[in-house]
Amino acid sequence: MEQEEKVLNPQESLRVIRETIDLAKRGVGESGFQFLLWGWLVVAASLAEYYMLVNGYGVRAHLAWMLMPVVGMPVSLIYEIRRDRKQKERNTIREWYGYLWLGFGISLILALVTSILRQTPPVPMVLIVAGFATFMSGILIRFRPLVFGGIVLWLGAALCLAVAVREHSLVEAGAIALGYLVPGYMLNQKTRKNHA
Amino acid sequence: MLKELDPLLLSQLRLAIMSYLMVAREAEFNALREQTGATAGNLSAQISKLQEAGYLEVEKTFRNNYPLTVCRVTERGVEAFEAFYKDLKTYFGQ
Repeated sequence: MEQEEKVLNPQESLRVIRETIDLAKRGVGESGFQFLLWGWLVVAASLAEYYMLVNGYGVRAHLAWMLMPVVGMPVSLIYEIRRDRKQKERNTIREWYGYLWLGFGISLILALVTSILRQTPPVPMVLIVAGFATFMSGILIRFRPLVFGGIVLWLGAALCLAVAVREHSLVEAGAIALGYLVPGYMLNQKTRKNHA
Repeated sequence: MLKELDPLLLSQLRLAIMSYLMVAREAEFNALREQTGATAGNLSAQISKLQEAGYLEVEKTFRNNYPLTVCRVTERGVEAFEAFYKDLKTYFGQ
């Protein structure tokens, strides 16, 4: 049977395009989980490192960062694999989003290797790179708190110039709490509302 | 003078399918049904029209022994959508 379709006027056409594209953007499937996972891990590692530095653990304090590869990477990977299995579509924005965070990962490793080899403080570089990825994520999925989150991380990098290197861990914990965790919780809440 | 808009895209469901696929480059039939809220019969009819016009290509395969229909926008579909959007904007003097 021939199906009749509602004929649109130009105004309605524009509305349909905008609404549908907005819907497709939600298909990025970013629920804030990754921001919450990495946010809490960075805050925990930064505070543990700071505690160990002020209590005379010396270079062993940096071992706190082992939380990242040991806990963060497997949990993050399992989450992404599970989410991909549920996906029924390819989504251009999700692909860009994935490449953005892949680029972040590569930049982060290069920044960390450079800072270890050159013996320069790693935190400002980490915050600059994370700030850029967070800022761009906010632009891609049109979520303003993430854009502000990126700016907070950049400000944290600038603040590092004004404090002693030992205090960088504290600046990092604060910047990540405001720039990652706050928008992460807001995004999580928004996703739950959309699915309710 | 205002251009005449592509009549094929002046339909709520067809325009929604094309807009969605402009972002999600390809989508399973069921995903499109969920996103547009259309009935399977209507969605199938409108996809066929877009396919006949060369705006979409439809691939029918199997997954775990179940039929799977995947739709994607063709180059011609992208051009038609972009032209439609451009013409639409001239209506609003943008």
